Amino acid sequence: MRNYIIARILLNIPVILLVMTLVFVVTRIGSDYAEKTAAGGVTGSGSFEEAVEQIRRQIGTDKPTFFVSCELDESLCSWHWDNQYKNFMFDIFQGDFGDSLVTRRTVWDEIKARLPASIELGILEVMVAITVAVPIGIISAIRQDTMPDYVLRIFAILGQAIPSFYLGVLFLLAASNWFGWIPPLTATDYQEIWEDPRANLQQMLLPALAGGLAIGAGIMRLLRSQLLEVLRQDYVRTAWSKGLRERTVVMRHVVKNGLIPVITVVGLLLAGLFSGNIVLESLFGIPGIGALSVIAMRQTDQPLIYGIVIVSAVGLVFINLLVDIAYAMIDPRIRYG
Amino acid sequence: MSFAQERELEAPAVSAPLTAASFRPRATPIAVIAKFCRRKPLGAAGLVIILALTAIGALAPALERYHPEDAIQVENPNYDPTSFEPEALAPTILNLKGDPSSTNWLGTDDSGRDVWSRLVWGARRSMGVGVGALLIATTVGTLLGVASAYFGGWFDTSLQRVLDAIQAFPPLLLLILIASNPFPTPEPSLTNLIFALGFIGITQVSRIVRGTVLVTRELPYVEAARVIGANDARTMGIHILPNVAAPIIVIFTIGLATVIIAEASLSFLALAPPGASWGEMLSNGRQSISTTPWIAIFSGMAITLAVLGFNLAGDALRDVLDPRLRA
Repeated sequence: MRNYIIARILLNIPVILLVMTLVFVVTRIGSDYAEKTAAGGVTGSGSFEEAVEQIRRQIGTDKPTFFVSCELDESLCSWHWDNQYKNFMFDIFQGDFGDSLVTRRTVWDEIKARLPASIELGILEVMVAITVAVPIGIISAIRQDTMPDYVLRIFAILGQAIPSFYLGVLFLLAASNWFGWIPPLTATDYQEIWEDPRANLQQMLLPALAGGLAIGAGIMRLLRSQLLEVLRQDYVRTAWSKGLRERTVVMRHVVKNGLIPVITVVGLLLAGLFSGNIVLESLFGIPGIGALSVIAMRQTDQPLIYGIVIVSAVGLVFINLLVDIAYAMIDPRIRYG
Repeated sequence: MSFAQERELEAPAVSAPLTAASFRPRATPIAVIAKFCRRKPLGAAGLVIILALTAIGALAPALERYHPEDAIQVENPNYDPTSFEPEALAPTILNLKGDPSSTNWLGTDDSGRDVWSRLVWGARRSMGVGVGALLIATTVGTLLGVASAYFGGWFDTSLQRVLDAIQAFPPLLLLILIASNPFPTPEPSLTNLIFALGFIGITQVSRIVRGTVLVTRELPYVEAARVIGANDARTMGIHILPNVAAPIIVIFTIGLATVIIAEASLSFLALAPPGASWGEMLSNGRQSISTTPWIAIFSGMAITLAVLGFNLAGDALRDVLDPRLRA
C-alpha cells in the first residue's frame, strides 16, 4: 500500500510540471496581444508604449523566453539563466503567482478569497445530484421497462440535454413568476455561509439545483445500467433463491456493487471543486473561482488567469490522487494500477 | 419473488446489442436505415433532429425574415407631425421587445432584432462551430492515436503524459484560455474558437482511437499484412484505420453535443466572438426575462433540442456500431 501511494505521487510530478509548462506556453503565445489589451485598460500618465513596457516589466515578459535563444542571421545560440520560463516555474514553486494587474492584490489572495464559495457550490451540487440520482436510478433499474422506468428515463435523457445555465434561467423564471421570489443575484449580496447561512443558502439554492440535476441525470443513467448488469449476476439469483426479501436483495447485494462506478464519477466531480462552475457562478452572482476567471479573462489580467488555471489544474491532479488512493484502500482488487 | 421479476432476471442483458455484422453485407442503404429506425426509434428521432438543424443552418439565409443584426423599425403609434412631444416626433421607432406577430414570428429582442432570424442564424453558428471543431479533433486525434498505439515506446509514453496534463485542466477554462489566443487569426474570432474546441477534443479522440488500435494491432491479419511486406504506412492506413471508423462516428456525434454546449456557454458568458448565437440570445433574454421571457425560453430550447438530438443519435449509433464504447 505504501509503495502504491509513493508510486502514484511520483507519477503525478511530471504531470504537474507539464501542466505548468503548458500554462506557460499558452499564456506566452498570446502575451503580446494580452499585454497591449491590458495596457489599453491602464489609465495612467505616459504613452501607450510606456504602459506596455511597464506591464512587460511587471509580469517579466521583457526577459528572454527560454534558456536558449538563437538569432536567425548569426546562427549563434546564446544561453540565458534569467529567462521567463525559469522565473515562471521558480516563482510558482515558491507559491508566488505575482500580483493582479487590475486590483494590484496578490493573485493568491484573490484566489483564496474566492475558493470557499466555489467549493461550497460544488459540494452542494454533488449532494443534490446524489440525492436525486441514486433513488431514481435504483427504482428505474429494479422496475425495468415499466411506466415509472420510462418516465424517469425520459427525465434523465432530458436532464442530460438541458444545459445547466438554461435550467438556472428557467428556475429563476419559475421562482419569480410562481412564487414571487427573486433570490439575491449579485456578488455584493453574497454572504459567507458561516456569517449568514440563510442568505447564503438562498443564493446557493437555485444554482445547486440546476447544476445538481444536470450531473444527477448522468449519474442516474450510469447507475441504472450498472444495476441492470448486477441484477443478472449469479449471486443475485442465489440471494433471491435463498428467499431473501426484495429489500435485502436490492440494498445489500445489488446496490452495494452497482454503486462503485458512481463513486468514481463523484470522485471526478469533486476533482473539479477547485475550478468552480464558471457559468452558474456568473449567472447567479456567486463570487467563486469560476466567476473570477471570467472577470480575469475580460480584463486580460494575465497573472490572475494563469494563477487560476494552475490552482485548478493542480487541485484536480491532487484530488484525483486522493481518490485513487482512497479507491485502492476500499477495493482490494485495485493494486498498483 | 413475483413472476414478472423472474422473467426479468432471465431476460438477456439490456437489449441484444446490434453489431456491424448483424447488418447483412448486401443490405441496401435504405434497408439499413429502416432497420436502424425499427430497432432504435429514439436514435432515429435524434437523427431527424440533426438533419432538421443541419437543414436550418444550411438554409439560414433563405429562412431569415430579416438580417439577424438589423433593428426592426415600426410605425410610431404616437406619431403626430403637429405635436412637439418627444415620442411623437419620429414617423418610425425601433420595435424593442416586440410581441410575436405575423412579421416577427417570435417577436424582437431588446435591441429590436428579429428573434426568429437570430435563432436560425444561431443554428448555423452552432452547427458550423461543432462540425468544424469535430473535424479538427477527429482528424488530428485519429492520426495521433493511431501513431501512438502503433509505434508505442517513448513516443507513446510522452504523448500520453502530455494528454494527461491537458486533461488536468478544467475544460471550459482551458477553452476560454486557448480561444483568447491570437491563433490562427490575430484577433479573437470564430476560427480561433473552432481551433480551441478542436484542440481540446483531440485528447479524448486520440485516447479512444489509441485503445482501439492497441487491440487491433495484435490481431493475426495485421501480422499477416506485415509478413507479406506491407510497410508501416500501408499497415496503418489500409489494415488498421478502417477499424477506427465506428468509434470515430460515435465520438463525432456525441462530441458535437458537448461542443454545442461549450460554444453556448462561452457565448452566454459573452466571451465568444459576437454574432447571432443561441448562448448569447439566452444571456440577453435573461436580462429581459420579466417582459419577454420567450426569447430566453426559445433560445434555450434550441440548445436543448440540438444536444438532445446528438445525444440520442450518438447513444443509438454506439449501441449499433460499437457496444464496447458504452462507458
